[in-house]
Amino acid sequence: MISPRSRRILRRFVGHWPGMASAVVLALLCLTALFAPQILTILGLDPFATDLFLLKAPPGPGHPLGTDEAGRDVLARLILASRASLTVGLTTALAASAIGTLIGLWAGYFGGRVDSILMRLTDGAIALPLLPLLIVLSAIDYAKVGLDGLNEGSGLARMVLILSLFAWTTVARLVRAETMSLKTRDFVVAATALGATPGRVLRRHILPNVLGAVIVATTLAIGNVILLESVLSFLGLGLSPPTPSWGGMLTNAQNTLWDRPELALWPGLAIFLTVIAFNFLGDGLRNALAARENPAAGR
Amino acid sequence: MIRPVAAALAGAFALLFFVALSAPQAEAADKRRLTIGISQYPSTLHPSFDSMMAKSYIAGMARRRITTYSPEWLEICQLCTELPSLEKNTAAYETTPDGKPGMAVTYTLKPDAVWADGVPITTRDIAFTVEVGKNPETGIDNAELYSRIDSVDILDDKSFTLHLNKRTCDYSGLAGFDILPAHIERPIFEQGASEYRHRSAYDTDPTQPGLWHGPYRVARVTPGQSILLERNPNWWGARPYFDEILVRAIENTAALTANLLSGDIDMIAGEVGIPVDQALSFEAKHGADFKAVYRPGLFYEHIDLNLDNPILQDSRVRLALLTAIDRDAISQRLFKGVQPVAHGNVNPLDVRYDATAPRVAYNPDRAAALLDEAGWRMGGNGIREKDGQPLTLTIQTTAGNTTRELVEQVLQNQWRAVGVDIRIENEPARVLFGETISKRKFTGLAMFAWLSAPESIPRTTLHSSQIPTAENAWIGQNYTGYANPEMDRIIDDLETECAETDQARLWSRLQHLYAEDLPVLPLYFRSDPFLMPKNLTGVRPTGHQYPSTLWVEEWRLND
Amino acid sequence: MLSYIARRLGGGLIVLLIVTFLGYALIGLMPGDPIDQMLAGNPDLTPQDVLRLKAIHGLDQPLLDRYWAWLSSALNGDFGYSRLYRQPVGEILIPRLGASLLLLGTALILSLCIAVPLGIVAAARANGPLDYLVNLICYAGISVPPFWLSLMLIALLAVPIAWIPAGGMGDPDLSMWQRLPYMLLPVTALTLSAVGGFTRFLRGAMLEVLSEDFMRTAKAKGAGPYRRFVGHALRNALLPLITLIALSFGSLFSGTLIIETIFGWNGMGRMIFEATMGNDFNLALVALIVTTGFTLIANILADVVYAMLDPRIRLDGAAGDDGGSAT
Repeated sequence: MISPRSRRILRRFVGHWPGMASAVVLALLCLTALFAPQILTILGLDPFATDLFLLKAPPGPGHPLGTDEAGRDVLARLILASRASLTVGLTTALAASAIGTLIGLWAGYFGGRVDSILMRLTDGAIALPLLPLLIVLSAIDYAKVGLDGLNEGSGLARMVLILSLFAWTTVARLVRAETMSLKTRDFVVAATALGATPGRVLRRHILPNVLGAVIVATTLAIGNVILLESVLSFLGLGLSPPTPSWGGMLTNAQNTLWDRPELALWPGLAIFLTVIAFNFLGDGLRNALAARENPAAGR
Repeated sequence: MIRPVAAALAGAFALLFFVALSAPQAEAADKRRLTIGISQYPSTLHPSFDSMMAKSYIAGMARRRITTYSPEWLEICQLCTELPSLEKNTAAYETTPDGKPGMAVTYTLKPDAVWADGVPITTRDIAFTVEVGKNPETGIDNAELYSRIDSVDILDDKSFTLHLNKRTCDYSGLAGFDILPAHIERPIFEQGASEYRHRSAYDTDPTQPGLWHGPYRVARVTPGQSILLERNPNWWGARPYFDEILVRAIENTAALTANLLSGDIDMIAGEVGIPVDQALSFEAKHGADFKAVYRPGLFYEHIDLNLDNPILQDSRVRLALLTAIDRDAISQRLFKGVQPVAHGNVNPLDVRYDATAPRVAYNPDRAAALLDEAGWRMGGNGIREKDGQPLTLTIQTTAGNTTRELVEQVLQNQWRAVGVDIRIENEPARVLFGETISKRKFTGLAMFAWLSAPESIPRTTLHSSQIPTAENAWIGQNYTGYANPEMDRIIDDLETECAETDQARLWSRLQHLYAEDLPVLPLYFRSDPFLMPKNLTGVRPTGHQYPSTLWVEEWRLND
Repeated sequence: MLSYIARRLGGGLIVLLIVTFLGYALIGLMPGDPIDQMLAGNPDLTPQDVLRLKAIHGLDQPLLDRYWAWLSSALNGDFGYSRLYRQPVGEILIPRLGASLLLLGTALILSLCIAVPLGIVAAARANGPLDYLVNLICYAGISVPPFWLSLMLIALLAVPIAWIPAGGMGDPDLSMWQRLPYMLLPVTALTLSAVGGFTRFLRGAMLEVLSEDFMRTAKAKGAGPYRRFVGHALRNALLPLITLIALSFGSLFSGTLIIETIFGWNGMGRMIFEATMGNDFNLALVALIVTTGFTLIANILADVVYAMLDPRIRLDGAAGDDGGSAT
């Protein structure tokens, strides 16, 4: 069922304990996000109910982590916020990787004018100052350019679209370089000589070999996107209330920084732990998927 | 090859920390200096371009207005000797050259008023300022004021008469008139009016003493950072206590309070400082070390209702919306009582305030009854319905304004409790004000603030001629689309029937009508939080658009 | 080689042109204008004034016409006045560029000073406890939201310690040495968030070099660890790191926005943000050209240097006139 190679990779991954621990943490987190409404029902907490007579309350019965500046339960909001933060992180990173992989494969394999144009495009996208453009894009009136749907709701779809427009370049460069180098390898040359179509060569020989690098890059990108979401919130361009996100909670906590610094602590910690876990996960994956054994590893 | 480089880097690193540790305090100890933190840096120091509070605040120390409103909200003279009045014949009705009703008002400038370079402030400067203001190529902000001035008669060095092409009851004020120094600016202006806004000495050489005439003059400008003011030796009024005032701009308000704690700034200005909830949080922890003063002011936080929306056209629904929200609790709990509930558009501190105007109290049962009466029956999911349509409305406010977003979510909860479903769709300020509100694109509720002057007639917001449409190029601020012939008549009369009894009657009727028609849901009047050293006295927060710095010479430290 | 660089520069100019157009269009597509906001904050202003002011700033003209007018005067060397700061664009840009370079340069040098030893240790003890510890430190730095880190630094360092300023750049007549205290916190924040990436990258690059055949040979020949790690591995691993920094130059400038805002440092990041949000086309576009230009040049340099070092990469292929055959 499981190929020896996969088994080897799995064994190596499990052996890398920071990566393994992160994977467990992130799996729990994803489950929390997935079942957030059910968890909140079981705990009997409401993330939206404001209570003007219980503002900024310390932890106590009924409110395990206390309440925020509107009297809402902090724990409930933290749990629900994992949804927005993870959704933005995962979808953006996946979309960006898909775009980046396609462009990178094409550019690296076929070269020529296509490569040249695609790479100039990448140059352009890398060179553009990211933050101001993100800001401009979040303020644009999408109805004007015929994308009515993007103006609606909490802005989640808009944020994902905008962030992916920028995140694909890293993956594209990576895949292109790998493809160019794989293209000259014997097994690819042989397959081409035997009459395999470019599509088949790309699918059967090149894609499986770049996938490892793509997975690692995607994992790292998720962390970056979650951080970016918090920055956008800080600049007032985050998700629309009442949808909670960690970045938004952190930004609001600035107003209560002096009398209730804990309100900044929890979302800050959530972002920190999630991003660090994604980084370690990427590390573990890289370690497990590495084509050759690290010479220094066995010492 | 690597080793020496690494060593050098390590050395530089060590040195950096050593120097940082032993850095001397760059503070001149012998000078009395007050450092004020504000949250915005003015784009220009020229008084007629880009009006913004940060500039008014700084200009308050280095310039004076001809007339202004005192901290007690009374109109007073600052550069003039006496307010013109019809009784004293310093104001008179007349007919304009083209036969329309006009007015002539006469002012006399203070005899000892001089620019900081010693040149007297005279009617030459008045004539020049009017010329700049009336030239359409200059591009100043409030050209409206100057278009009302038909001509100026220079009577002598200090006295002048303005001929106005409009009769109003508030003729005595000249607060928006920013006098310019003709001896410096005229040669620049004469090189070309359209280029003047780039070439003015206020931008190219702002430390020239002749540009200023307040107790202080601008001594140093560090763009984007700070403005240093030093005592003006030619100031004709009381000698100010501080030798220097440094105004520092720190945009992030959390960082602004941290700077106050660390001693980098001595106080935070109320006018351009921090939001009130941040100030309350700061005071809760560090209130013992600072003096916190909250001054409710003319920033009127409210919700505009789009009256084109069929749901909102029903006055019972509007009243229900207001009855369903507990503004007292919001004021008392969220803002610890420092931001008073607004029951109408006129501030209780205004002389025109009428306490007998109807007030709406929090009563969710009454709100429910009103909605039932209007045909909105409670549906199965807790949301009311009529003819199969759910009672859903959209509220919009400025994204990133945490205080408004907080209040918005509390309101959403309270409305939800009576079965009204409110969707939040916030937008960045420039989008909201530039497009959504000003072109009446909001479909339901829009939450924002108006700043009005004391006794200002709400023509642009309530008169039916001021509803923005594509035909009138979106002119007007009557965003709700409110049209009531009686309100139009009251506003027209307020501008022309100047007898005190008429004014009192009209203002009272206006407030009653506003409360009955409810084109707008009043929320609260915003407060300016002043965080100051405990021993600083003499700061008199005004609460209106004329900042406390206009009386900066009264500020001092008690030992 | 020279013709390749010339071609790349030509391509760069085209990219630059496209970037300016995109920038102009994007800012223009943002609804509203700061003039509209003035209306709500100033009771003396009337809507008529707003229309008049917009006409003065040319905002009533079609976007394409405005871009064309801007481009033709920019090509003649006239970048116009900044609308926000009412000064010629260059007079605002240059001091800010200097301030940004001072901050970024110091932070970069400091980050490298920390990242290099950490990277060596991590590579030398790869997958050992020490490596994990370095990893943890690195990831901790990367994973903290920058504004949170900055506010914590102020609250924990500037508030209790008198000589550390919480923000600002100090008086303009300060000497370099006197300015150091003001640089302490922003440089620390930037360094903490940059060190992790550099260390990780260096570790990976060093491991790559260490696995090369010539390193095994060196070890077999009895070269000491210092010689192997620092003399060979580091020297070969530093180059890609420098390239990485060069490549991300543009985003480094704008990425300091948060730190500049919180610490009140007047650099390019804040200026680009303010110019963009303030519809200050002249200033925003020149800033865009500067940062994009920096990145493009760094990009070209990186490709050239790589090609010189790695004979497997042929520049002609990358330039796109080789037909790109698979063999």
